[in-house]
Amino acid sequence: MQRTGILPAAGVLLLPLLFLPGCRDSSETASVSENPADSSNGRPRVALIMKSLANEFFSTMAAGAEQHQADHADEYELIVNGIKDERDLARQVALVEEMTAAGVDAIVIAPADSKALVPVLRRARQAGVIVVNIDNRLDADVLRQENVRIPFVGPDNRAGARAVGACVAEHLQPGDQVAILEGIRTSDNARQRLLGFQDAMQAAGMEIVDSQSAEWEMSRASTVAASMLSEHPELAALLAANDSMALGALAAVRAAGRSGQILIAGFDNISAVRSAIQEGRILATADQHGDQLAVFGIEAALKILKNPDEIPDDVETPVDLITAETVAP
Amino acid sequence: MNEPSALLTGRGLARCYGRVRALQHVDLDVNAGQIHALLGANGAGKSTLVRIISGLDRPSAGTMQFQGKLYAPADKRAAEAAGVQIVQQELNILPTLSVAENLMLGRFPAWAGVIRPRRLMELSRQALNRVGLTDLDPATMASEIGVGHRQLIEIAAALQRRCRLLILDEPTAALSAAEVRHLFDQLRRLKQQGTAIIYISHRLDEIRSLADRITILRDGRDVGVWNSGQLSDAELVRRMTGEAESAAGRPFVSWRQSRTALRISGLSSGPVQNVSLTVNRGERLGIAGLVGSGRTELLQALFGAETASAGRVQVEGRTSDAPFGHPAEAAAAGMGLVPEDRRHSGLLLSESIRANMTLSTLRSFSSFGMVRRTDEAAAVKRMTVQTDIRCTDTEQPVRTLSGGNQQKVVVARWLLRNSDILLFDEPTRGIDVAARRRIHDLIASLAQNGCAILMVSSDTDELLDHCDRIAVLSAGRLAAVFERPNWSREQIMQAAFSEYGARTRPSGDLCSEGDHSE
Amino acid sequence: MTGQAWKRAAVQYGGLLGVVVVLLLVFGLTSDNFLRRSTMISIANQIPDLTFIAVGMTLVLICGGIDLSVGSQLALASAVLGVLMTDFRWPLWAAVPVSLFSGSLCGLWNGVVSAAFRIPSFIVTLGMLEIARGTTKVLTDSQSLYLGSSVEWFGVPLSGIPVSPAFLLAVGTVLAGQFLLTQTVFGRYCVAIGTSEETVRLSGIRSWPVLVSVFVISGILCGLAGLAQTARLSTVDPNAAVGLELAAIAACVIGGTSLMGGRGSVIGSFFGVLIIAVLQTGLAHLGVSDASKQIITGCVIVAAVFLDALRTRFRSNGA
Repeated sequence: MQRTGILPAAGVLLLPLLFLPGCRDSSETASVSENPADSSNGRPRVALIMKSLANEFFSTMAAGAEQHQADHADEYELIVNGIKDERDLARQVALVEEMTAAGVDAIVIAPADSKALVPVLRRARQAGVIVVNIDNRLDADVLRQENVRIPFVGPDNRAGARAVGACVAEHLQPGDQVAILEGIRTSDNARQRLLGFQDAMQAAGMEIVDSQSAEWEMSRASTVAASMLSEHPELAALLAANDSMALGALAAVRAAGRSGQILIAGFDNISAVRSAIQEGRILATADQHGDQLAVFGIEAALKILKNPDEIPDDVETPVDLITAETVAP
Repeated sequence: MNEPSALLTGRGLARCYGRVRALQHVDLDVNAGQIHALLGANGAGKSTLVRIISGLDRPSAGTMQFQGKLYAPADKRAAEAAGVQIVQQELNILPTLSVAENLMLGRFPAWAGVIRPRRLMELSRQALNRVGLTDLDPATMASEIGVGHRQLIEIAAALQRRCRLLILDEPTAALSAAEVRHLFDQLRRLKQQGTAIIYISHRLDEIRSLADRITILRDGRDVGVWNSGQLSDAELVRRMTGEAESAAGRPFVSWRQSRTALRISGLSSGPVQNVSLTVNRGERLGIAGLVGSGRTELLQALFGAETASAGRVQVEGRTSDAPFGHPAEAAAAGMGLVPEDRRHSGLLLSESIRANMTLSTLRSFSSFGMVRRTDEAAAVKRMTVQTDIRCTDTEQPVRTLSGGNQQKVVVARWLLRNSDILLFDEPTRGIDVAARRRIHDLIASLAQNGCAILMVSSDTDELLDHCDRIAVLSAGRLAAVFERPNWSREQIMQAAFSEYGARTRPSGDLCSEGDHSE
Repeated sequence: MTGQAWKRAAVQYGGLLGVVVVLLLVFGLTSDNFLRRSTMISIANQIPDLTFIAVGMTLVLICGGIDLSVGSQLALASAVLGVLMTDFRWPLWAAVPVSLFSGSLCGLWNGVVSAAFRIPSFIVTLGMLEIARGTTKVLTDSQSLYLGSSVEWFGVPLSGIPVSPAFLLAVGTVLAGQFLLTQTVFGRYCVAIGTSEETVRLSGIRSWPVLVSVFVISGILCGLAGLAQTARLSTVDPNAAVGLELAAIAACVIGGTSLMGGRGSVIGSFFGVLIIAVLQTGLAHLGVSDASKQIITGCVIVAAVFLDALRTRFRSNGA
């Protein structure tokens, strides 16, 4: 530090701030649509706790919720929080605790893990907070053990995956070989989608020759899919449990020089996959109306708030099959 | 109680590392209540021998007996359990622990795993008293104490364990004169109590005043064993080196020219305050002073390795007279530093002789950033001959060289750069007698060729023998400059203490006052 | 190369090559379709990203530093590429230099802060890991960007030969890196600084320009890695390469680079990348569970380093 002035030092240290955006929301920070401290006007405060906001699926969901709040600004306040990556369970648990402590009226949560979040949500319920489960269904056994009822508002992933699988099967002959790219196995979504794919393949008489987890990730999926392709030269289709992995599979197929020979399907209908569907590189995906999922959850929460004694049963939201014919431009 | 009874005997001890025979057929008898010196040039096998005795290494052949029983320690623990303690050259003090914790490491007084702090302090107090560190607080952090004290703490830790045979490997290399005297008193007392001591040192005067018996090793072989008074210094050196010539008595020749090479005015940096000196071409200027008097800091500031807070540095052919801001500037002005801690700040130990030698001049052996290997190798070859480096191959790592040859590699680095002002910080510390002479010869030949030389040394005799003038630092100030032959050791010592103010009592125990300055 | 140089190379890399061959044989025996041309091609086309990063990491480690931000820098560079090509409709040739420049900026920041202000690079690059990842998410709005065929030529095999331009460039980078390390003044300085920065300083050499350059090189190589990954996937993924720094460090260490600095080889690191890639692909071929994959990968990393340590110890004792 010889003869180095403070000013240039500070200048260099502040350099990265240049990267910061002018007005766009950073994905890490909580965005508060209204001042959360200002609850004196009686509007209920709803906390939306998401998985990774870096994942497009969840950022779209959050954007939908914020739009809904803007349209109904006089009915409730919204606080949106996310975690850094899908596996950061501890952070999500902490978020529930923080929101409970902040005295929100309702928590709408997309749990990163279907079991680990149950105890902290039970504590939130005991503190008088309404809890609604969206996206990834909490484990029924654990809910029973913890003796707590939390309504699930969301799509039937198994049925969605079954529909995607059936669409793929239509393009195959019975007995053809297919492989599945699974999500992270601890999540209920991953299990339900796997079951859905398996249902459809069994029903159509296909042979599942390989099924491995690529942890929802594109690059990983490309590696795993490349191995599947060379290990099973007869492979006719790759079913991916989300669209990121479908894109990874697409890259692997292309690198193997077998573009057009392998059918690929995904799940979620993220924007990056739409052009691939239009171009026919990916056959199908499922749209569970991600932008509305949180809204459905919030609406359910508001309904309970008005009628606290009536905790409703689970609410099923629609899942649509997207193919080249139905994809939105 | 000095009846000689063999405590440890070794017969036909040998140790090979691959094809290298570090030790072959060495016999050794160490008696209880005696101090037994091991003498030999670097690489003669002294360290290997004591490593075997202390269980750090196992012999390839030969047997040992300890207290009349067969003795073959599997590791250091086994040797320690038998009562053999070693204090090695490299200090094993953990700087992040306190002195007390260092002393009792591995033997903490504890109750159910919880350390008993008061007992810990008590025991360490006793251990420190045993080596005379009566005013050192055992709670002091080890990082805060000087090298000399650390050495004594190691010895205290060794004595704290059951100690029948104590092995000391160059214990005085980093100690001040007072500390050495103190250590020797303690060693003599141990001897009285019947402890046997194996003592390794390069310093003949120490061995003469301390040892009862001397075993000399050369090239891994056992040359013989003598009683302390039996051989003269010259005979000892001859047996160690196998050469006939003697070191002492060669006349000093001055190569001082009239042109000034370096002029320092009012230089201040850290402890160094307002030092002004001039050095002529071909002159050897010695810098004396106590440990902590700012000798090393002066060289560092001069070389730009420490930032000078004030002063001017004028070098022939340089326009500016501001102190150097970085060693790169000093090197460009023709200055070179041979640092005190050559292993860590002078050399790249794992790298080859070649890479070490050309480190400072790589650019002149390169075109478009690529190193021209043939030119580089030729220059290295030339320098290896010129500085008389003993090695089998210039590609061998400098780690494998002896201390003297390592030092020559650092000097060669600056010679390649045509440096004409060379700063030596303790140039012969830890270097054996024969190699020391070669280093001094090298320094003399540099002076003969017109180099200006500044030489810091704790060994006043070294300065008296090899310098034109001696500057004495005391508490960071320049206390006096003596000109050959108008000097004496006493004058230099007095000057060294002169700036320590009221605490100095010229006729009292000068050195212990000096210790406070550390 | 002379006969002696070949012999030295055989001694130095023989062990690593042996590990690769053993892995290939084991997977060849246990899996039906592993030892095939198509598998080898697919491995070759997957490794460019990690290779680029491992080359930069090797240089940084040899200088005694560490770069934890490589994964984030990769993501940032590919995000810059993606945003320029989709939102601003820039052509590839114009977007690539800007993308590489973003990598070099991250590297410059890492280098300047750690070298000039003497803050450990572990901390500085840990900060950059977060900064670059956050910036990536801002730029992409946390959404994957689909680029389609405009970049994929870089990542897919060429018509005549079975490997991609990215692979060829990666191999070229390895050779250039090894040349830089062993034949140039810069490389010598890197090794010297990693061995003892104080010795270098007291030899009259300023070390900061070398350290800054090394981090900038690492940043640019991250940019190239980002390009390679984007090309392979045709898509920019804001979550790309999370944790890649650990894979890169593992590759370097397997290849004999010391985490303490002063010792290492770019070619060795390339072997490390190969070992990791073969292992990953082979385990996927076998279709073993994720848990077993992780356990086996960990064991192989430790075993490879252990073998290397044995070899070095054997040589230094034998000589």
